[in-house]
Amino acid sequence: MRTNSDGDAAAIGRIPFGPIVILVAAVASTLLLAARPAQDRHEVRMWTFARLHHQIYQQQVAEWNVAQTPRIDLSLLSLLAIEQRMLSAFLAETTVAELIEVERRNAARAFAGPLESVGFVDLTDRLKAEGLDQAINPASFSPWTTRGRIFGLPHDVHPVMLGYRADIVESAGIDVSKIETWDDFAHVLGPLMADRDADGRPRRYLLNLWETHFEVIELLLLQAGGGLFDSDGRPTLDDPINADVLVQLAVWCAGPDRIAADVPYFSASGNKLLLDGYVIASFVPDWMCNIWRNEIPQLAGKVKLMPLPAWKPGGRRTSVWGGTMLGISRTAANQEALWEFAKYLYLSPISARELYTKGDIVTPVRSLWSDPVFDQPDAYFSGQAKGRMYIELAPHVPVRHSSPFGAIAADRLQTAAISVAAYARRAPGATRAELLSEARRALAVAQADVLANVRRNSFVRADFHEEAGQ
Amino acid sequence: MTSSRAAAPHAGAWLLIGPFLGIFALFTAYPLVRAVMLAFQQTFGPGAAHYVGWANFDFLSRDPMFWKAAKNTGVFTLGSILIQLPLSLALALLLNRPGLRGRAIYRTIFFTPALVGVVFVGMIFMLLFEKRTGLVNQALHAAIGVDLDFAWLETYIMPAMILATLWQYVGFNMVYFLAALQNVSRDLVEAATIDGAGAVGRFFHVTLPSIRPIASFVVLLSIVGSVQFFELPYVLLNGTGGPENRGLSIVMYLYQTGFQAGDLGYASAIAWVLAIVLAACTVAMRFLARGEDA
Repeated sequence: MRTNSDGDAAAIGRIPFGPIVILVAAVASTLLLAARPAQDRHEVRMWTFARLHHQIYQQQVAEWNVAQTPRIDLSLLSLLAIEQRMLSAFLAETTVAELIEVERRNAARAFAGPLESVGFVDLTDRLKAEGLDQAINPASFSPWTTRGRIFGLPHDVHPVMLGYRADIVESAGIDVSKIETWDDFAHVLGPLMADRDADGRPRRYLLNLWETHFEVIELLLLQAGGGLFDSDGRPTLDDPINADVLVQLAVWCAGPDRIAADVPYFSASGNKLLLDGYVIASFVPDWMCNIWRNEIPQLAGKVKLMPLPAWKPGGRRTSVWGGTMLGISRTAANQEALWEFAKYLYLSPISARELYTKGDIVTPVRSLWSDPVFDQPDAYFSGQAKGRMYIELAPHVPVRHSSPFGAIAADRLQTAAISVAAYARRAPGATRAELLSEARRALAVAQADVLANVRRNSFVRADFHEEAGQ
Repeated sequence: MTSSRAAAPHAGAWLLIGPFLGIFALFTAYPLVRAVMLAFQQTFGPGAAHYVGWANFDFLSRDPMFWKAAKNTGVFTLGSILIQLPLSLALALLLNRPGLRGRAIYRTIFFTPALVGVVFVGMIFMLLFEKRTGLVNQALHAAIGVDLDFAWLETYIMPAMILATLWQYVGFNMVYFLAALQNVSRDLVEAATIDGAGAVGRFFHVTLPSIRPIASFVVLLSIVGSVQFFELPYVLLNGTGGPENRGLSIVMYLYQTGFQAGDLGYASAIAWVLAIVLAACTVAMRFLARGEDA
């Protein structure tokens, strides 16, 4: 009979395979991590979320790295990855990439909290001292501004036009130059909806718009003079202008004389519907020209751009969709050198030209708008000098006010828009006054809900809650 | 015996459990304590937090969005349990029939969707339910003339999500039931048959009581999984709650509150309420299972 000590000795002598694998993996991974070269002290990291930006910046970064310091290590990350890493680092006050390029909504989330704890460097004084606050299109600063301080260098202006199927419109003998207002738009292009299918439904619609397209609804509100927040960050969802826009939206999407259809943006199925001519016109900010060009090359020479129809005669003919900034992390060393790089990357004439020729994006630097590159005809858009068209609209781009409550407000506005459209479907014979009443009710609910969240927040309550008379 | 000698026999034990205790304290206990503290704080971006007592829980009790999310989650959970589990059991009963040919092939076919990631399932169903170009509308339009523009993901978001989950997990739960059915005593079944019990009688009086422990476990698993559902609405609705927040789940709301609106304190309060609900469900299920055992 074997004793216990014999058994123990035998067990120790036969070490199972599993633990050996775990041990080897642990040692190997530790060694690999230890052997990994540490980050060069003279190198700074820059994150961008857009593949296009990453491609455009490659050469400029390479040139900078040859001649200047610090050396820039440019990385492409998904927008969500940047947002999570950036916000986590800002919250925990740990290190993060020294230069971060972010989109509007992500940036707004980083602007929560007291000004002194915002994770980006406050650029306001630098911009003013160097006159850049005047040199750059003023509206381009608004998404990166909170409580009067600017935390990012603007990358773009992003004016919006309507991209329309010129082949279909012109073959029907329609002249779009007669369109000045949205009413004109529906009236002039209306005959294109005469063609019906077996069920009596139009084979095509005039406008790519739906009550679920929040980005488009917001740009329409901004064009009309409404919006989600005022310049002090107070919610303004119940603005009467917003109610008027939601009524029009419901009429277009759900009324008996519907002219709009849901063609999803950024999807293969949406591109297919555009190609089929299911909708005549879509909202096209400058950056979307590049998406169309690359994703729907079959539309080359078949589409044109025109300014947005105004809400009333003489009104604003554009709006704004999207936006990117470059921010310097507050924990970064050598912030002066990073500021120089940021200006080199965003504001130089070469950058502006690259941005437009490779990305169709118009620079926010006003003095560079005279570059003849913007006058070149674009074969994709039927020979139009689209750069010049966007630049002519750029000074009229509306201001968008940033708020940490932007995500909540966007959600509640969306709900209100859906509610008004649903009302229009339930009551096809509803008058405009009835729709307006429903829009005001829905927006009042939305406003109250956003305000409840604002009021709950004692940090911002001190800023404006009391003075708003709440 | 001196005290140092008395401590000596325990030193080895402490040394052995020390690493575990250290890791547990650092990565489990401390975050839990911090999460409790956070639930009683107002937070607003980096470096801004202060104690607000029960204010987060008070706001939560009156927050229409939370209750909407809770209702949606409840509907989804009920849908999962009342539709998915009976179907899983029915499939298991079919596959458990004696003499069935190709049992392994059927089992593999039904189980395979469970191997697909939830994100992929979300993307697949998003394409299936698209207006005009989606397979569902195209097929229904061709078959019975359904409007190509019918918006499943706007009108019937919750049934669409229940359907997607059903497709993914019906085979997964079926495997549990199948394993349980294969352990039902044949003697009992034969005895019931000899006593004149029909198929229905045998199912309710022999099979179901025999598989009850496994069934309780599967129900508990489904409740926990359904209450925590996040990935599917996140992918299907592009990180939103969908039109009028009809697809907003509690965990989605928690995510939006904490990581989109930056209110970690309130998100923590939501998380604790969710944890308490789940704990209550677990205790209730254990209690019910114990009653059955007795």
